[in-house]
Amino acid sequence: MSNLAVLPIVIPLLASVILAFIPKKTKASRFLAKLFAVVYLGYSAFLSWVVFSDGIIVMQASGWIAPFGISIVADYLSVVLVLITSIITTAAVFYAPNSLEKLQENHYFYTFVFLMIAGVTGAFLTGDLFNLFVFFEVLLMASYGLIVLGGGKVQLRESMKYVLFNVFSSMLFVTTIAFIYASVGTVNMAHLAERIQEAEQSGILTGAAILLFFVFAIKAAIFPLYYWLPNSYIVPNPVVSALFGALLTKVGIYAILRTFTLIFVHEPGITHEIFIWLAIFTMLFGVIGALSTHNVKLIVTYNIIPAIGFILMGIGLFSTTGIEGSVYYLIHDMIIKAALFFLVGALVVAAGTSDLRKMGGLIKQYPVLGWLFFIGSLVLAGVPPFSGFIGKLLLLQGSLSQEEWILTIAALVTSLLILYSMIRIFVRGFWGEDPGELPKQKKKVHRLTIPAAVLLVINIFLGVGAELVYPHIETIANLLMDRTEYINAVLGE
Amino acid sequence: MIYAVFAPLVFAILIPFLSRIKHKIHTGWLILPVPILVFAYFASFLGSNFENQVRSIDWIPSLDISLTFHLDGLSLLFALLITGIGSLVVLYSIFYLDKTERLGHFYTYLYIFMAAMLGVVLSDNVFGLYVFWEFTSLSSFLLIGYWHFKERSRYGAVKSLLITVMGGFSLLAGLILLTIVTGTTSIRGMVDQADVILASPFLPFIMAFLLLGAFTKSAQFPFHIWLPDAMEAPTPVSAYLHSATMVKAGIYLMARFSPIFGGEPSFFMLLSLFGIITLVCGSYMAVRQTDLKAILAYSTISQLGMIMAMLGFGTDVAIFAAVFHILNHATFKGSLFMVAGIVDHETGTRDIRRLGGLMTFMPISATLALFGTFSMAGVPLPFLNGFYSKEMFFDASLQLSGYTGTFVEILATALPYLAVLGSIFTFVYSMYLFFGTFRGTYKEEQLPVKPHEAPFMMLVSPMILVLGVIIIGLVPSIFNDGLLTHAASAVFGSEVTKEISFWHGFIPPLYMSLAVVAIGTLLYVFKSKWERIYSVMPGKFSFNRIYDWAVNQLESASSRITSSYMNGSMRLYMVLLLVAVTGITFFGLWMTNGFNFEVTDVAPVTIHEVLIAIVMAAAAIATIFVRNRLAIIIVVGVVGYGLAILFVLYRAPDLALTQLIVETVTVALFLLCFYHLPNLKKRTESLAHRGVNLFVSLGFGALLLVISLSAYNSRFFDTISGYFTENSYKLGGGDNIVNVILVDFRGLDTLFEVAVLFGAGLGIYSLIRLRKNKGAK
Amino acid sequence: MEIVMIILASILFATAIYNMLQKQFLRIIIGTVLLSHAAHLFLLTMGQLKRGNPPVLVDGVTNYTDPLPQALILTSIVISFGVTSFLLVLAYRTYTLNKTDNMDELRGSKDE
Repeated sequence: MSNLAVLPIVIPLLASVILAFIPKKTKASRFLAKLFAVVYLGYSAFLSWVVFSDGIIVMQASGWIAPFGISIVADYLSVVLVLITSIITTAAVFYAPNSLEKLQENHYFYTFVFLMIAGVTGAFLTGDLFNLFVFFEVLLMASYGLIVLGGGKVQLRESMKYVLFNVFSSMLFVTTIAFIYASVGTVNMAHLAERIQEAEQSGILTGAAILLFFVFAIKAAIFPLYYWLPNSYIVPNPVVSALFGALLTKVGIYAILRTFTLIFVHEPGITHEIFIWLAIFTMLFGVIGALSTHNVKLIVTYNIIPAIGFILMGIGLFSTTGIEGSVYYLIHDMIIKAALFFLVGALVVAAGTSDLRKMGGLIKQYPVLGWLFFIGSLVLAGVPPFSGFIGKLLLLQGSLSQEEWILTIAALVTSLLILYSMIRIFVRGFWGEDPGELPKQKKKVHRLTIPAAVLLVINIFLGVGAELVYPHIETIANLLMDRTEYINAVLGE
Repeated sequence: MIYAVFAPLVFAILIPFLSRIKHKIHTGWLILPVPILVFAYFASFLGSNFENQVRSIDWIPSLDISLTFHLDGLSLLFALLITGIGSLVVLYSIFYLDKTERLGHFYTYLYIFMAAMLGVVLSDNVFGLYVFWEFTSLSSFLLIGYWHFKERSRYGAVKSLLITVMGGFSLLAGLILLTIVTGTTSIRGMVDQADVILASPFLPFIMAFLLLGAFTKSAQFPFHIWLPDAMEAPTPVSAYLHSATMVKAGIYLMARFSPIFGGEPSFFMLLSLFGIITLVCGSYMAVRQTDLKAILAYSTISQLGMIMAMLGFGTDVAIFAAVFHILNHATFKGSLFMVAGIVDHETGTRDIRRLGGLMTFMPISATLALFGTFSMAGVPLPFLNGFYSKEMFFDASLQLSGYTGTFVEILATALPYLAVLGSIFTFVYSMYLFFGTFRGTYKEEQLPVKPHEAPFMMLVSPMILVLGVIIIGLVPSIFNDGLLTHAASAVFGSEVTKEISFWHGFIPPLYMSLAVVAIGTLLYVFKSKWERIYSVMPGKFSFNRIYDWAVNQLESASSRITSSYMNGSMRLYMVLLLVAVTGITFFGLWMTNGFNFEVTDVAPVTIHEVLIAIVMAAAAIATIFVRNRLAIIIVVGVVGYGLAILFVLYRAPDLALTQLIVETVTVALFLLCFYHLPNLKKRTESLAHRGVNLFVSLGFGALLLVISLSAYNSRFFDTISGYFTENSYKLGGGDNIVNVILVDFRGLDTLFEVAVLFGAGLGIYSLIRLRKNKGAK
Repeated sequence: MEIVMIILASILFATAIYNMLQKQFLRIIIGTVLLSHAAHLFLLTMGQLKRGNPPVLVDGVTNYTDPLPQALILTSIVISFGVTSFLLVLAYRTYTLNKTDNMDELRGSKDE
């Protein structure tokens, strides 16, 4: 029974290894990749269903009881995130053949994708702080492989910076684990939570907690640590950007969400207050970045940052409503980011440029793409009745009931500016005079549009069908706020 | 009722399919029955025995969000306007828009709007209302940008979107606050708890958020600037959205919440003040315009200001007048927009300077315009509805008592004068609009098209509206009982009865009306003499400029800010990052007093260990100064091998072994790679840079030093390692505890550590291979 | 002794960062190597030093040094090795393509 929890990590790892043997057989790898992705998707859905009907599943790796072995914990939040990851993976695998050059596809693209997914899934599921570091390394290593794929001049240049920042944060992670181990004497997250609760002592633990927050914040791209993100996300192929934008920063923010609801809740007056201020700056500076450029890829990339700000906002509020908002927003944002990167990829192919100033009047030839983009922009900005609205509503309810006026106004202003930054693409790229000659790519663009459309449908469902989703989010948030169930499930008390 | 709201939406979805057959029949005809039927449905509620209706469907019950439609007098008035004017506009558009236009798009947007607007005025659930509210903004955006190949259309569309959505988000915040205070999402529930809301400390915020929402939507000063630019939309849209319905959503909102805030001095003050300013400025600016639609746009702004002000007055007379004027304005302004569209259509221009003397060519249009403009001007004639509501407005402005406070009293005293002032300008532009277009000299050479009367069917819609103007003027009582009193009562909160009659005797409002006509006529006749005042005021100053500047800054300032730090410099990024991490972590430590330097329980210091440490430290520092690549590798090797020795000393044989191997391989790799990389150069950075680097790295080192010391000295618990020592052999079957941990207790770590190596290997391989492949190409 | 080691590790960290703030690839990579040494030394020290025998079971000995940090370090060493090797190759490839090993010349311009 408990082995169910580890399979979502094993499936992509297996896929990764198998695909590594047939890099040159393009057709076979495509087929296998799709097959694995669908299996992974189906299994994640099954696992979610099991967890939501039967409760948290804990697998103690090799049967060692916690906290001595490594616990793989499939709790409500984790399985939902794994499910979303699997949806995005599937969409990406279907998108990839039309987007990648054959050369890129043959250089272990699918292997790296599945390796990364194994890392991401592992990071979502693990209940052990050091194991989290290992999974981080897995997904980072795979992302290094993906980001250099194709090996262009600019690409390698930005990859250098990306790798260096991550090396720094990884080593800081190890160091922070050392500090935490020194004063608490364990690396199991549930055990840490229990012990820190007993310790009733904040002091050094808060310092270590903040340091750990920064480790994750570098990955999550929170102000003022996101410098590495914008340029390194636009250099690889759109499908890689989509995976990065949808998953990697989200793993960082997930880690913050997990550790600062489970472990370090002893001094919210300081840690969570810091989060609120950082959330404000993350939102504003992120969206300022999005407004600063005419590069459509960069606009979408910068929009990752304010979204992270929104999620951090709920964590900082540290109320049930706030956490609900964060979780809802997190799920929503993973999907919409993937969809938008897919759409931007298609847009760049359609227009033959990524410079907004050189585009115009595309709607006549690409109406579907245009309207999807329009809807995507609305979803992103949190316009009702789409998914972004529900998350934003919860977050605003949280911040207003805690009388966080500056935070609220920053969130509202950010929403407006996000809408403006995105609608600019629609107004300048799709509206306007007929552009005349366009690259003849209609078929390709259509094939690229389909996965994005599917993801957008999910987004619309998350908004319109919120009644079917929200109760689960409520369950997740309640369990995050009341950590006893998690701790008991892991430590078996 | 639910079907009534969603009928237009359903058709909006169907329209793209219907419009496929547009070469046979104009799409408009196919869908015209929808608003007519819905209108008929709502009209069936008319009558003095009207009772409120409620229908509800759940949407997200767990968040208390539902689509609850509550039909009361106010909603009924708006619903009738939306569907009634909607039907006429669709009819009119059939002749206004040619079959070659993208009709599918047009009608889809229009019907989405219609459904959304019905939703706004019928929703009882505040979040339901908000959802519909945003949809009106979006459909308005799409309609303004309908001719998106025109630069001005795009500009107007974005402007309206930015301003109204800003208001929408603000409204959302206000509504959320209301739900937090009252614990309900139903407007009726909130009205019941009005005292709770008024006593809440959130009241100023609630009011500010709601008012911003209403003012932006209803184009109140200084947010009115989007409306004139919205005139780029096709004229039916201007008539419908930007005069009769959508811009009244803000008015509706304020009316809806009047039972809660009515009587609150700040509510009175803000609404009256902004309303009256909007009235005066709008009408003042309208006189200056030369584009027919621009005149009408500013006129709409000023009329909206007038209604807003009346809602602010809050007396029964004022509210009745407001409700009455909502109806009247829709009729005369709707007809005027349509006539303006006809003039544009038939002459090819809307520039009033090029028009004139059209009476002879377009007699019917001229007659319609005559009624419309004179009603708007408030000329005291018994068959013009505009006069009635204007006189009530004057009346209401005179009856403001009961508010105390210096500023409030000054405002109350000034209001009648301002009302008259605004009305005078209204009179002037109304006259200008009519006489400038239809009278005066005919300038044939300036018209692109030879003018002629519009086709009859195009005139039907404005005719019906003008008929409305006259009927309301002649027999106001038929609208009174069945509709207006219900509406006014719903706004006022208790029964309002009001007789509408033409003649009240010689009372002040009559003098005011007469003064408006007299001074207005004078000003119109001598318009050319005083027009120069516009170059002084507003002169070059306008809120449009502020908007343009702000939007421009959004991009240029963003770009400046962003490029000031996102300059691609790895070093700058690292420095900023480290400063932030160091600063904030120190702050957190300091706040929680996390320092703990009481050294306890340490191993004894031995000389040889210290020596190794010193050598390693020296080697590490040396890496900074060495300028030879071979030397630097050796120096780094010293650190690495030193670490291995420390591992040996500290009872970690496995680590020592691994470290030795890894260090050796790494050094080999370094040698291999560095052979290809250029030699180290003399560092060229400036002294300031060096200082910053030094400061940052020392700062971070100090941070880690402090945290590690404190952490080391705060050992709150025993580590979990005892278990491993005990059970390594018993359960793990191995003597080497570290090995057992690696392969068994924490086998998963090791498995994925291998996965990392696997990834690294493939990554390196593909990096090298890719070059070869590229080279082959 | 732990205090000495803590100071040493902090010095290693500081020099690592100083190197990472330089322009040349070579120095930056040296920085990352020092960084991992520092992190590992921290981990070892935090588990306390020399509290008993090496963690290999010998009959009659009950007092062993904390084995868990050692296991963690071992994992981390291997991972760091993988990453460093990748970084080296990446640096080399970046140098050959961009014709510079100066990070400052790799800023990129706004319009690409």
